[in-house]
Amino acid sequence: MRKLFKFLTPPPEWKLPVFIILGIFVGLGCYVLYLSKAASYLSDDPKTCVNCHIMAPQYATWNHSSHREVATCNDCHVPHNNVFNKYFFKAKDGLRHASIFAMRKEPEVIFILEAGKKVVHNNCIRCHSQTLTDPKLAAKVPNQAHNTQDRVCWECHREVPHGRVNSISSVPNARVPVPESPVPDWLNEYMKETKLENE
Amino acid sequence: MKPIQESVRKKPLLGWMIFLATLVVVFLLGLLASSIMERRAESVFAYTPQVKYDQWEPRNEVWGQNFPREFQSYYQTADTTFRSKYDGNAMIDMLEVDPRLVVLWAGYGFSKDYNQGRGHYYAIEDIRNTFRTGGPKNEKDGPMPATCWTCKSPDVPRLMNEIGVAEFYKGKWAGKGSEIVNPIGCADCHDAKTMNLRVTRPALIEAFERQGKDINKATHQEMRSLVCAQCHVEYYFNKKRVEGVPYLTFPWDKGMTVEAAEEYYDEMDFKDWTHKLSRAPMLKAQHPGYEIYLKGIHADRGVSCADCHMPYKSEGGQKFTDHHIQSPLNNVANSCQVCHRQETDKLIKNVFTRQDQIIQNRDKLEELLVRAHVESKKAWDLGASETEMKPVLQLIRHAQWRWDYAAASHGGSFHAPTEIGRIVATGIVRAQDARIDLARILANHGYNKEVAYPDIATKAKAQKYIGLDIEKLKKEKEEFKKNLLPEWQEKAKKRESTYQVKL
Repeated sequence: MRKLFKFLTPPPEWKLPVFIILGIFVGLGCYVLYLSKAASYLSDDPKTCVNCHIMAPQYATWNHSSHREVATCNDCHVPHNNVFNKYFFKAKDGLRHASIFAMRKEPEVIFILEAGKKVVHNNCIRCHSQTLTDPKLAAKVPNQAHNTQDRVCWECHREVPHGRVNSISSVPNARVPVPESPVPDWLNEYMKETKLENE
Repeated sequence: MKPIQESVRKKPLLGWMIFLATLVVVFLLGLLASSIMERRAESVFAYTPQVKYDQWEPRNEVWGQNFPREFQSYYQTADTTFRSKYDGNAMIDMLEVDPRLVVLWAGYGFSKDYNQGRGHYYAIEDIRNTFRTGGPKNEKDGPMPATCWTCKSPDVPRLMNEIGVAEFYKGKWAGKGSEIVNPIGCADCHDAKTMNLRVTRPALIEAFERQGKDINKATHQEMRSLVCAQCHVEYYFNKKRVEGVPYLTFPWDKGMTVEAAEEYYDEMDFKDWTHKLSRAPMLKAQHPGYEIYLKGIHADRGVSCADCHMPYKSEGGQKFTDHHIQSPLNNVANSCQVCHRQETDKLIKNVFTRQDQIIQNRDKLEELLVRAHVESKKAWDLGASETEMKPVLQLIRHAQWRWDYAAASHGGSFHAPTEIGRIVATGIVRAQDARIDLARILANHGYNKEVAYPDIATKAKAQKYIGLDIEKLKKEKEEFKKNLLPEWQEKAKKRESTYQVKL
């Protein structure tokens, strides 16, 4: 360990340039974190999910659904069996989304993957377990157990909660809280002022 | 391990490789940063307008060029074919349906003419046509103040911005007739730059301020009700705020209940008019739709006005907010059934049940009020004194205020059935208390019989009973439409032809 540390420590005459270069690295890194609103990804706020504007249809349809009042994006789309799994899955899925988005490889119509399906299905059950275990329903409705347990919920409840079609151009004018300009107000003000002076 | 300096001196290639690696990492990080920036900017430029218009553009057709779907669905408010059990979008002569209203509003404009309202599309046409606005001969003539235009048009925020709020309210209704020509529309609720919802009417902002709340802090979901609350609320014209100006004000300072508003009015000794028969200092409830909605279960669950009256709509794979603002009973699938899994017929029946239950007692209260007014007139005729009558008139004022609050909050018996039931019940108590007092007064003046219920079977009979000359009103209106109205339209056309965007 100490050897490695020693190996990485620059000789005295290199210290200044190394500090500067490391500073550039860290600064650029911070800038990327700020631009991508990285901290917001730790929260459960649905606004975070429209940091990428291509999620606008999903946000808008959810915001017009009955689930709006009771469930956020994360309530359905990340596992809730334990906190580690939650953040592991969130990080995994999030980084995949971010990479696809950065490489402009997003499809026109977004479909959920197998892993995500399982998570969502389990979350349906997490809240609606009573409809699956209700003995009255099981006794009255023919094939109730069969119909509820050999398929995903949305095979029948197709419109819940996003509706059927979710192409990325399906909600042209939806008012979705996409991130505003990353330039802070004081800088904007300052730039306006200096512009006025120059004119 | 040798110091790195030595290794580099021995193999200069290593130095170059470190340099290159750093270069690549910084280059890629920079690329990532600019890509994030670009993609964030995309969402800003996703909306590229066809036409550019300024913040106060009043013509809905201009906005419609940028938002054809929303505009076309808005234009469907011109539809008048839907009638539910009690309301709907057809024009219904309510005085004909229920001539008792004429007696309740004797001495006030509403006894002249009162219709079940049509869609927003008709806002301008209908206010020009109603007998309540009379037949002004010039801009300084007519029974109504300019304030009556406030809720009718996106020309209102434009004009307020040009001449100021108090100046807008000043003068006669006819004085602003040439200015206000476009029916309720886009600019009333939307910001032209961002298309976000915005409040354009000062009365709501001022009411919030007096309650110590900042309307700018409202969430998007709250805004989806607040833009409606700019107009669908109880209001009055405050003549003391700016001298001689009927300043539009909401009576919310003491709270949002029917009692709080009543206390507010009583304290300032406000009355809308003096009743022609009973001489009671009356209050006219306007349309406290928002206040009643707040008392209901849907508001409590976070459902906004737009959720039911402007639900999401899908057309050709595009989803947008249906701007055909209408009764959800005409669109159950997209409104109720988003949350409720029952059959359409069942849901509609549930609404009708509530309306039936409420109207039963509201109807009774209405009859009691007619009787109270007629009995008061009899008492005055027999020589009753001011001091004898004062408590009675106060009771009538409060009872009819409650009846009107329940009746005018259209849809109230669905929005908050228990609250409306409560309001009507407290109204019945007051109306009957008034009639008990009246029976004593009448007996004291030697009349110990029932006062005959007037023959008000039709609108014409009722209007004759209160002494209203409807033929005169008709003639005045016709003259106004022949003389002044074309002048207004001509002026407006000329003004709009100078606007930047041409149609």
